[in-house]
Amino acid sequence: MNPIAVIGSGFLNASETLGGIVMVLVRILRAMLPPRFDRDETWLNLYKVGVKSYPIVIMTAFFTGAIMVIQSGVYVKQTGATGLLGWGAGYAVLAEIGPVLIGLMFSGRVGANNTAELGTMKVTEQIDALRTLAIDPTHYLVVPRFVSMMLMLVLLTVLGDLFALIGGAITSEFVLDVDYRVFFQGVFNSNLLDEFFTGLIKAITFGASISVISCHYGLTVSGGATGVGRAVNASVVSNAIGIFVFDSIITWCANSALFK
Amino acid sequence: MTQPSFRDTFAQDMPPMQAGPGPRTAKQLGDVVLRVRGLKKNFGDAVVLDGIDFEMRAGEVVGVIGPGGVGKSVFVKICCGLLEPDDGAIELLGQDLLAIDQKSKQRLRERVGLVFQNYALFDFMTVGENVAFPMVQRGTAKPDEILVKVQERLAEVDLPNVRHLMPNELSGGMKKRVGLARANINDPELIFFDDPTAGLDPVTSSKIFNLIRRTQAQRNSTCLVISHDIDRMRPACDRYVLLLDGRVHFRGTETDAMRSQDPIVQEFFRKGDGSKAGAA
Repeated sequence: MNPIAVIGSGFLNASETLGGIVMVLVRILRAMLPPRFDRDETWLNLYKVGVKSYPIVIMTAFFTGAIMVIQSGVYVKQTGATGLLGWGAGYAVLAEIGPVLIGLMFSGRVGANNTAELGTMKVTEQIDALRTLAIDPTHYLVVPRFVSMMLMLVLLTVLGDLFALIGGAITSEFVLDVDYRVFFQGVFNSNLLDEFFTGLIKAITFGASISVISCHYGLTVSGGATGVGRAVNASVVSNAIGIFVFDSIITWCANSALFK
Repeated sequence: MTQPSFRDTFAQDMPPMQAGPGPRTAKQLGDVVLRVRGLKKNFGDAVVLDGIDFEMRAGEVVGVIGPGGVGKSVFVKICCGLLEPDDGAIELLGQDLLAIDQKSKQRLRERVGLVFQNYALFDFMTVGENVAFPMVQRGTAKPDEILVKVQERLAEVDLPNVRHLMPNELSGGMKKRVGLARANINDPELIFFDDPTAGLDPVTSSKIFNLIRRTQAQRNSTCLVISHDIDRMRPACDRYVLLLDGRVHFRGTETDAMRSQDPIVQEFFRKGDGSKAGAA
């Protein structure tokens, strides 16, 4: 096949997907003016998205913190710079590892589930049924998911940050023989508030991007069960790409502002 | 601002059933409720609808028949505003469906019901919640009123005791009947049935068509029924439209069809009826 045709077709497909995602975002913003939420659906989504994600977030964050301390432990022991252990772990967790890793876990668990759920509703004509019942699917299904994912990813990131630091402190105490108080002194004396807030901005952005991307793929499914499978796959890949793109942009913006 | 919750309400016991408000007839019998002119729809190179002209009046039950893949479901979805046609005009309940804005379309949809071929019941809600849902979302009725109306509608379709079940606990015929109850909950003036007996056994199919006729008669609503099952839809329909090659090939009553010399019409109507085919 002609390589130019392949590149052209890939570009057109990417543009179509990007355009579809932007249109979903525009419809969400329009449906939120004035702010009006379906209470049942919003509560249900807050529970599904947030409460049910706590265990996996806590586990992931705890062991990530522990691994970071173990990895840096060799150099800390060689140099004796135990005070840097908390700073290093805190900086990496709050600014980068926390939001990105939890965002990826969240996209795998919640985003994929969201695409599958909406996709199944699409192929079983439940979305059409909503429209014939004079109910706007964006308002009823998408807006509660958008709000829940943004809100809950921020809360889960705060929780994940906390457990990553606890994991790091416990590992430093029992594996490196560095007192946990020294570890936390390193965290709190380093003035990592900017990194913490940068992490929260990332979490809000990732939550928005995961919800919009996963809803787009769910609402555009065609082709029955196979189509749902393809959409879930595409949603997970696009969400991961979205997380890294937005992470780069926010990190660049934050560093530009901090180093001015 | 939040909308009223109905899940809590549905956890309660049902209040005693009361007499309903009776049939609603916003349109006078005989008024045109649906008028379609020159409707065209293609999917890629495939021509599905090629200039359909169609009209139905208030209080009628019209059967749309035709071979599989002729575009009957596409026709219904276009008439409901779920699909956009490529060309043509649709006047639904006195409004130009293709010219009105989204909000007007929403309001118009409140006056129209659709029973889907594959049920399209919300699988995350109980049967009672499914039936109540359109009324709850409209937000004009009190929870007690909604409960009474749900009970009424379920009783009408001979399913008085399934309110707490989930859709996946019902048989195909029961799901169709729940779909009918849901479509009827807001007393629509016009109901579309997209192959309401697809995949059902002959006995259940006959029950569904009888039910369509009964509920139509109770409310003076107008119904458009798509089906292949000409034998069993006969008691329900006043007249028929036969679609063929994207166009209306025949329109008329069963008597007109039986008198027709057109071999396609003869084949369709007489072959569909085993007894008459045998007699002939």
